Amino acid sequence: MASQRRRKGESLFIRYLILGTWALFCLAPVLWFLSIGLRPRTEIITPQPIYWPTFSLDAWHMIWSDWPMAKYLRNSVLAIIGSVVIDLVLAIPAAFSLARYEYRGRDDIGFYILSTRMMAPAIVAIPIFFLFRNMGLLDTVWALMLVYAAINLSIVTWIIRSYMIDIPKELEDAARTDGASDLRILWEIIIPAILPGIITAAVIAAIFAINEFLFTLLIASTPNAYTMSVALANFTGGSDGLIYNAIALVAFLAFVPVFLVVVAIQKHLSRGLTMGAVKG
Amino acid sequence: MSDPALTETGAATAPAPTGIRRRRSKRMKTLFPYLLVAPAVIYLLGITLYPGIYAVVQSFYAVKFGPWRPVGFENYANLMGDYQFWGALWNTFVIGSISLTIQCVLALTLAFYAYRDPWVQGWRIIFLIPMLFMPSAVAFIYKLAFLDARVFSDILIRLGLIDGNLSIQSSIWGSRALLILADVWQWTPFLFIIFVAALQGQDEEVEEAARLDGAKWGQIFWNISLPLMRPVIAVALILRGIDITTMFANVFIITKGGPAFGTETISYFIYRTGFKFFNFGYASAASVIMLILTIIIAQLVVKRAFRSGRA
Repeated sequence: MASQRRRKGESLFIRYLILGTWALFCLAPVLWFLSIGLRPRTEIITPQPIYWPTFSLDAWHMIWSDWPMAKYLRNSVLAIIGSVVIDLVLAIPAAFSLARYEYRGRDDIGFYILSTRMMAPAIVAIPIFFLFRNMGLLDTVWALMLVYAAINLSIVTWIIRSYMIDIPKELEDAARTDGASDLRILWEIIIPAILPGIITAAVIAAIFAINEFLFTLLIASTPNAYTMSVALANFTGGSDGLIYNAIALVAFLAFVPVFLVVVAIQKHLSRGLTMGAVKG
Repeated sequence: MSDPALTETGAATAPAPTGIRRRRSKRMKTLFPYLLVAPAVIYLLGITLYPGIYAVVQSFYAVKFGPWRPVGFENYANLMGDYQFWGALWNTFVIGSISLTIQCVLALTLAFYAYRDPWVQGWRIIFLIPMLFMPSAVAFIYKLAFLDARVFSDILIRLGLIDGNLSIQSSIWGSRALLILADVWQWTPFLFIIFVAALQGQDEEVEEAARLDGAKWGQIFWNISLPLMRPVIAVALILRGIDITTMFANVFIITKGGPAFGTETISYFIYRTGFKFFNFGYASAASVIMLILTIIIAQLVVKRAFRSGRA
């Protein structure tokens, strides 16, 4: 593990000053925003900002009574879980193919899958909008599910592929001489061996799906298919403007589960975020 | 899907299978990896190739409310003379490159101080918190703090740095700086965690050997660690670069592209042309130009980075 000795040419004071400053920079806006969620509306936009507000759960009651919050939550959860399932079903065989076989065009196929990650959502937004309108899927959770799955498929495939490459070939050969078929090898040996990688890929896909904004904004034109991410932008009280304490609370409502799963997969995070390019 | 390996072992052990069957199973064996990857590829083609073709076709029509009217290259010709389109490209480039540079320098500096520190190891999650919020939520944090509630101005006034409230909203560079700040705050952690992981993955003995030779730590980092992690930096910057150049939620929520179109990114330009002014043909033409730029960049930069990055 790390050497705890003081390294030559570096002062501990400067190190902790810099890291501490950065930690403060990361945390201060978050804590302040939390305080926004827990104060009454009258204390948010004032001539002089209020730093020590009165505690209030107004926003908490409001998000459940004034908006169909349960529905937004349900939409988010359904679209996210559905999209991750689609991704895994498509990506696991694809990654298996890319990682364990030699064939013509393999690298090009792999790069094509990767390259879809580079497509700006705005480029395909208009055609996708018309596609779903013609299919009658506009304003439904199904459309969101399909779009989220497409956005994340490249990431999920490449992450899983990177974990599959690391499995020693001997493991597979042994099973093959025992007469196991390729699909059985995938199911009984490879998938259990890379389960952490699959979970990492699923978590990262889920986070990106929660975050998705542009497509959701276009596809969910009424609250019928709003997810948390887009619902935020619609917490307005007409002439009263944005209702920031509700926005803040919903932001934290989405943050808590993300935080918990990221803590759980922390070790794999950097590998997942780089689509397997960094073996952290 | 039938199972090629089973068919093959069956063919090998069965007494005298016909030649046709053996040939078929052999063909099956070569086809098998393609069959595995096909569903994913077809799905992705549906969501990239189909929209791509659709956008190309639509870009040659005037599509407003009524039926499509063919206009040839008119949309493209108009785009070339549209200062808002060029402005959007310029804004995307300016905001993106400044933001990416700041994030990279910050993340490298922080990673440099953090990567062998046992205390930071345990508390690393604190540094990741900003990127765990939804981007739309982060946009609201910054909109409220800088524009609506003026907390930032208030703090500066209390510190005696300025006299009156800042007018960020009416200043182009002020608004750009705000978008950059929100992006830096949320996504520097992304680069940070990747850089830390890459540095920790490096051989500690190399560092130790250089240290015994009398090299200062800063020198070791600059001359040994940093060159070793160049492929990782490339991959991380590309992924971040893609997301920055497609920035939308922040623009949509914080600035709406203003003032005077000074913060309108290319994504927002397409959104506004298509879904605010319903000028779909024109927006598609802009999409096609962006698609071509994306493909060029992907071929030139990304392919190489990921090839070397995975070694």
